[in-house]
Amino acid sequence: MPEGRKVKGVKEYMTVDLLPLNSLREGEKGIIHFISGGYGLISRLASMGMAPGMQVTILRNSGGPLLVLTNGTRIAIGKGQSSKIMVSRIKIKKDKKVNDREK
Amino acid sequence: MTEKNKLLVALAGQPNVGKSTVFNILTGLSQHVGNWPGKTVEKKEGLFVSGNTEIRIVDLPGAYSLTAFSEEERLARDFVIKERPDVVILLTNSAALERSLYLLSEVLLLGSPVILGLNMIDVAEEQGLQIDVEALKNFLGIPAVPLIAAKNRGIKELILQVISLAKGKSEYNPLIPEVSPDHKEVFIDLVETTKEHIPQPYPVNWVVTKLMEGDPEVMDMLKKFLPVEKWVKVESLLQKHEDSQLAIIGGRYDWIEDAIRSSVSRYRRGQILLTDRLDHVLTRPVFGIPILLGILGIVFLLTYGLGSPLQGLLEWLINSFARLIDPFLRRAPEWIKGIMIDGIIGGAGTVLTFLPVLLIFFAAMAFLEDVGYMARAAFVMDRFMHTIGLHGKSFLPIFLGFGCNVPAVLGARIIESERAKILTILVAPFVPCTARLAVLALIAAAVFGGSGAFVSWSLVALNILALGITGMFINRFFLKGQKMPFIMELPVYHKPNPKTIGIVVWNRLKAFIKRAGTVILGFSVFIWIISNIPGGTIEESLLGWIGRLIGPLGTPLGLDWKMIVALLGSFVAKENSIAMLGVLYGVGEEGLRNVLPTVMSHASALSFLVVIMLFIPCAATVAVMKQEIGSWKWLLFSFVLMFLISFGGAFIAYRLALFLGI
Repeated sequence: MPEGRKVKGVKEYMTVDLLPLNSLREGEKGIIHFISGGYGLISRLASMGMAPGMQVTILRNSGGPLLVLTNGTRIAIGKGQSSKIMVSRIKIKKDKKVNDREK
Repeated sequence: MTEKNKLLVALAGQPNVGKSTVFNILTGLSQHVGNWPGKTVEKKEGLFVSGNTEIRIVDLPGAYSLTAFSEEERLARDFVIKERPDVVILLTNSAALERSLYLLSEVLLLGSPVILGLNMIDVAEEQGLQIDVEALKNFLGIPAVPLIAAKNRGIKELILQVISLAKGKSEYNPLIPEVSPDHKEVFIDLVETTKEHIPQPYPVNWVVTKLMEGDPEVMDMLKKFLPVEKWVKVESLLQKHEDSQLAIIGGRYDWIEDAIRSSVSRYRRGQILLTDRLDHVLTRPVFGIPILLGILGIVFLLTYGLGSPLQGLLEWLINSFARLIDPFLRRAPEWIKGIMIDGIIGGAGTVLTFLPVLLIFFAAMAFLEDVGYMARAAFVMDRFMHTIGLHGKSFLPIFLGFGCNVPAVLGARIIESERAKILTILVAPFVPCTARLAVLALIAAAVFGGSGAFVSWSLVALNILALGITGMFINRFFLKGQKMPFIMELPVYHKPNPKTIGIVVWNRLKAFIKRAGTVILGFSVFIWIISNIPGGTIEESLLGWIGRLIGPLGTPLGLDWKMIVALLGSFVAKENSIAMLGVLYGVGEEGLRNVLPTVMSHASALSFLVVIMLFIPCAATVAVMKQEIGSWKWLLFSFVLMFLISFGGAFIAYRLALFLGI
């Protein structure tokens, strides 16, 4: 799946385990399901390419702020904000070779 | 001569799309930087003349979207709605087209014709993305021009298209994103309820879209204009459809997805980007922090290694100049001579001598910003900044303070949250600027000899410590409540652009010359007057009298009245305290190195330096602090705090030094 392509019919994923974005490890990918924040946070994230249905890749998660890649944009998000973004983890095993090359 | 056609064009684009590069190419030296009326947001505009068309280009503040989230975004949307530019140029980062189109989806609702400038098309290709410009144009129904602004390609074509669009000669049938299908009915319902009450020049569809997004400003506006029963209806509709913000965002992304699908193909996997390789190291705390410290160390070495000799040279030139004009003033009364030589030439000279150091420092900083490194610095510093209640974005303005506190305070504008901005401005004066470092180096070397360097380092460390503790203190007790979101884009690294760097450096230097220059010059003359009237010597002057009056304040700190007067003078410009000590001890600046050890004990000197380093900042910094914070309350708060910290710190340092017998 190309980076950040929107997934239609998000509701189908509702049975999947949802976890906060900051619990993904470096190199893992996830799809955003919902953001439990106010008007400002949701709008700001949407305008930077982070909205429900978008795919994100974690570039850095080492205790401080998160660094994620979405739509070719690298975004730093503070810990507090990233814990409000609920995602489902994308299993990457079947695509392992490609991922190794990406690194 | 026929009269020129005049066009008003607004330049819009998210941050990191090369907007300032395009603006600089178009307007060059004609650009004028000011403030938006009544705001502390920069407004840049300039002229571009093409044939008999004169285009006034207004650079809209960089905004990711057009919410009421930040001042910049509000100004950008208000400008387009109220000024109705003939054309809006919307620049994109073609390597991240999705999010650039997000801003387009908002701008299209505002009513002015929009042209798409597909910038960084080369970067997109490097990443294996091919954009079919014709297909994109057909899908969006608006003109689009591919650009590589960094190489000055496509700009002419863009301008031709802008003129043609403004004259109505281009095809323009924009496809505007709609709310997602399940919310269409609500949308239409809201339009029907409100449309006859929405005042000019607000477009109805925009107002309703913002209403569904939950935009607080638009809600307030509508509440004012709607009759009560209709407002109640609007409110109940919105309450019933709590998820309408997502429906709007979803609708936009459906539209973006269709646009991308129609025009973008990924023809090969992009190569591993230099950015990813560098970030692999630079954003990792273990490597990133030592590298950051190393880079900043080099910046200081460069600044002082190259800057200090130049500073010395300029000082010599100014003194020679003063000696040169001295004979011409022989006939003039003593007071005119004094004001001319000590006041005006001395004051202007002070400003001038700091230019080389600041030029090098600002150039190094602008270089690091332009290549994309400062965003990484902000990222790795974020966790430390959190301990004082700030986040990564405050790192750059605070660090600029090592050059001069004036651009540091002005630099706090990049911070979106009001609370973080105020906190950054309040702690910025604790960063030792070049002037304070100059005083510190001279006195520490004169009094402490070989241990001077150690004393200097300790005092700089003390300042950083004071900054941290003050930040924590203000954050904990005075700025409770609001949270500060940290969301920041890390741009792709790119080659430095000399023009962009040049303009940033020039703007910061100009801020220093304009603010510090005028204030220092004015106060130098003022200080000369009150230190010569009525007696003719400083001892018998107004200043001497004030000094002796408040002198006892210094006794517990080991400071005599002369040192207190020098501290008062440091309010004009920190380095003034050196000149004043020279006058007060009757030795001039040159003799000061030999005399200081005989008149200042180690403990007193330490106490004096602590006050200099932590005291109320210079008049120029205070002036911009007032301008940027906008309230006397915080300014007074800052004064009282800095007064207490500097005098408290000096008292402790003095007593400790006596106790230890230093």
